[in-house]
Amino acid sequence: MSESYFDWTARLFDRARIFEKPEALRGIRVLDMSLIIFGPATADYLGELGAEVIRVEMPRTGDVMRIVAPQGIYWKNVSPAFFAQNHSKYHVAIDVHRPEGQALIKQLAAKSDVLIENFRAGTLERKWGIGYRQLREINPRLIYVANTGFGQWGPFVKRASYDALAQAVSGFTAVSGFPGRPPLKMGIYIGDYFGACLSALGVLAALHYRDRTGRGQFLEVAQCEALLRAMDWTWVYAGLTGKNRPRTGNRDPSACPSGIYACQDGFLALVAGSDKAFEGLCRAMGRGDLLTDPRFCTQADRAKEGHAEALDQCIGEWTQKMTRAEAVGLAQAHGFSASAVATARDHYEDPHLRARGSVWEMEDPVYGTMVEHGPAPKLSDTPARYKWAAKPVGFHNEYVLGRLLGLRPEQLKALEQQGVIGKWADRRGPKPPDGWDGEGIIG
Amino acid sequence: MSSMSGPAWEDWIQQADDPHGAFAKPEALDDLLVLDMSQESVAGMVCTSFLAELGAEVLKVEPPGGDPARAWGPPDCSHGGEGLAYLAEGRNKYYITLNLEATVGREIFLRLARRADVVIEAYAPGQMDAWGIGYRQLSLENPRLIYVAISANGHYGPRASAPMREHDLSSQAASGLTFITGEPDSDDPDRAGVPTKAGPWLAGYAGGAWAAFALLGALHHRQETGRGQMIDVTPAEGLMRYLEYTLLWHHIDGKVRERIGHYDLAVFPYTFIRVKDGWAFIAGYTDPNFHALCRIMERPDLPQDPRFSTVSTRVQPENERMLREQIESWSIQRTSDEILEEVMADPGPGVVVFGRVESPAEVLSRENWWERGCFHKFSDPVYGDLTLQMPVWRMTETPPRIRWVCRPTGYHTGYIYQKYLGLGPRRLAELREQGVI
Repeated sequence: MSESYFDWTARLFDRARIFEKPEALRGIRVLDMSLIIFGPATADYLGELGAEVIRVEMPRTGDVMRIVAPQGIYWKNVSPAFFAQNHSKYHVAIDVHRPEGQALIKQLAAKSDVLIENFRAGTLERKWGIGYRQLREINPRLIYVANTGFGQWGPFVKRASYDALAQAVSGFTAVSGFPGRPPLKMGIYIGDYFGACLSALGVLAALHYRDRTGRGQFLEVAQCEALLRAMDWTWVYAGLTGKNRPRTGNRDPSACPSGIYACQDGFLALVAGSDKAFEGLCRAMGRGDLLTDPRFCTQADRAKEGHAEALDQCIGEWTQKMTRAEAVGLAQAHGFSASAVATARDHYEDPHLRARGSVWEMEDPVYGTMVEHGPAPKLSDTPARYKWAAKPVGFHNEYVLGRLLGLRPEQLKALEQQGVIGKWADRRGPKPPDGWDGEGIIG
Repeated sequence: MSSMSGPAWEDWIQQADDPHGAFAKPEALDDLLVLDMSQESVAGMVCTSFLAELGAEVLKVEPPGGDPARAWGPPDCSHGGEGLAYLAEGRNKYYITLNLEATVGREIFLRLARRADVVIEAYAPGQMDAWGIGYRQLSLENPRLIYVAISANGHYGPRASAPMREHDLSSQAASGLTFITGEPDSDDPDRAGVPTKAGPWLAGYAGGAWAAFALLGALHHRQETGRGQMIDVTPAEGLMRYLEYTLLWHHIDGKVRERIGHYDLAVFPYTFIRVKDGWAFIAGYTDPNFHALCRIMERPDLPQDPRFSTVSTRVQPENERMLREQIESWSIQRTSDEILEEVMADPGPGVVVFGRVESPAEVLSRENWWERGCFHKFSDPVYGDLTLQMPVWRMTETPPRIRWVCRPTGYHTGYIYQKYLGLGPRRLAELREQGVI
């Protein structure tokens, strides 16, 4: 092996060659019947591995996320928050309240591998006759995914849920943040996005089973339950001790010292829990004396009340004198963990994240140049990718219903006149940017 | 519209996907052999927990002294010699030991890797390659292999070759989530106005989920083509992918998202409020849902107020604060049970979302989670009574399950080496002598 390892990986994962390579889920069709984030993100993750995602919305208005605009600020007539969970999708608008709309969904489901919805339990079956029990008759290979707050059955089945509610009722909120302070709301809709990630993982497991047996199935993920699952040792601890895991602010209770400290140019996260890492930190700080201090000999000593605080003070005084990058350099040299507490600007300007496609820049025919966080896992032979951004309501009606279901232009026109299918209403959220010239329509 | 005869949906689906019946059904991944070489990696152990829950045969390969992560958990409690975090994610795995620093150890690993479907490792990038057992070498021996590498900064890119120990706190910080989580700068005596991490190891769970997701995608590709591949995952990037519009905002007009405590940038009301018995979450941000909330609060004046009359005006920061005060002046008079009862009794239109902020002990006291199979009390032959969180998926055909909680270091060494390499007790004793296992 004459080539250096990192030259080889640079070639293997070359960002410039992503679009030359095949996609892992090519030929898998996902019917995305969902709303807001939890469902659409599940479909999005499958889409970034190459599944063809058909996103179904209501004619005229579309998904409510189109008008959920942070600080009320729209971008090119749509909420900037709509894009993160809607990449590379085909947008069709079908009114599922109408029997003709339900018939179209059945035709699409017959040609799909996966269906994703996040309505209240049983809605598709009871209200529209397109639930799992109806669709599996049409397509026994279908993998039907139902995402909810609390699940399809059980004592809480009738309760509505949102992300931060899941944080509250799962106990996630109670074990995060500083003691004595108001509950800490995560800065993002973590129950939605993490739940969606687990949901997409479940789909792929079901797909593997289908690859082997030809059988589809029904799969459900509940947002609250996804957060319960992610709470590491909380439950084992409660079960053994009868005690609640305490809120510990920025200290990881299983690693001391650990915390977030101020540098000259921002905040730094630092962890030196193992004895070896702590030794490295003391060397980096030029504080060999701490190693012989009986308060700090072992991790258990360091974690004791008063000791941890004393260490925090030493570290904080030290980090104050340097930049985040200097501290990270010392962590690399001395074998402890550190990272800048990264801001959006830090990410935007980071050549490393750009080279990895974790900061993803693309040119969309409707919205122009966009920069977003890119796909997370990097696959050497079937790299994940975004092809285009979310589109206005009903943007791909002709393409999907014409190409896939074989409807002729006059049939589409009749359905549109009856209000069964439709395009965007002339208002912010559903409609295209002002001055859009028709670019991006697939003929 | 077609109508269903027979049982109502909720009854039918409970019958069909209740995890209490899981053991009677097949498993989705029971044809997979996974070698988990990861050490000191939350993402590594979570990834293989997910695979093992779904039926994969996971061999957790530890150095003879055990994975240092066995000590991880709260400082005031360990159990059976193990840290509680390790017990929480030890499920269904087979525990064997192998010393990769010894030549013979690497030869044994190679023999296992030739027939494995998946290898997962979390060494410093380049370490496995330097040992001659990285993906570059293994792919020649086993082109079907899917090789997952987990690290702090990844295996390519300008920072890849600089060594950095991955830890969940630094990964959370690198992801960008920490900067936008927490209370805004303030002079409060608790010094709480700083970027704030999630309590649990969220970056590790995100990284583990993405790793499992990606390798199953690669598995489908292998089914079609016969070819494996390498997958590079960092916990920080795993969490980063969940950061919604944070970066697009910066791209559009240079905005840097900041911390806003328990307010929300995009939707309101969508916040924590005080109630008679603690704290609770409440939301009703679309017009119909906001009207429902005002109906329940008997405040028909609020939707008329121009500050609160539309989705966009309600999210103006000053209006959020004022509206939150209005809601709290009502909620503080009531217990969370009283409010939930009113919310559930409201006939609509519109839906109010409400729930109490519950401690772990309170969560464990709610019948719902036990009935749903989210928790289970195990009586494990090795570790005794333990309460674990259960797999998250309910599946009608291939439900996930937990067979055993965890096992001590090297517990399955004899069985696995006999099964896969035909190594009997005498040969194993030799290897033990040489410090290989």
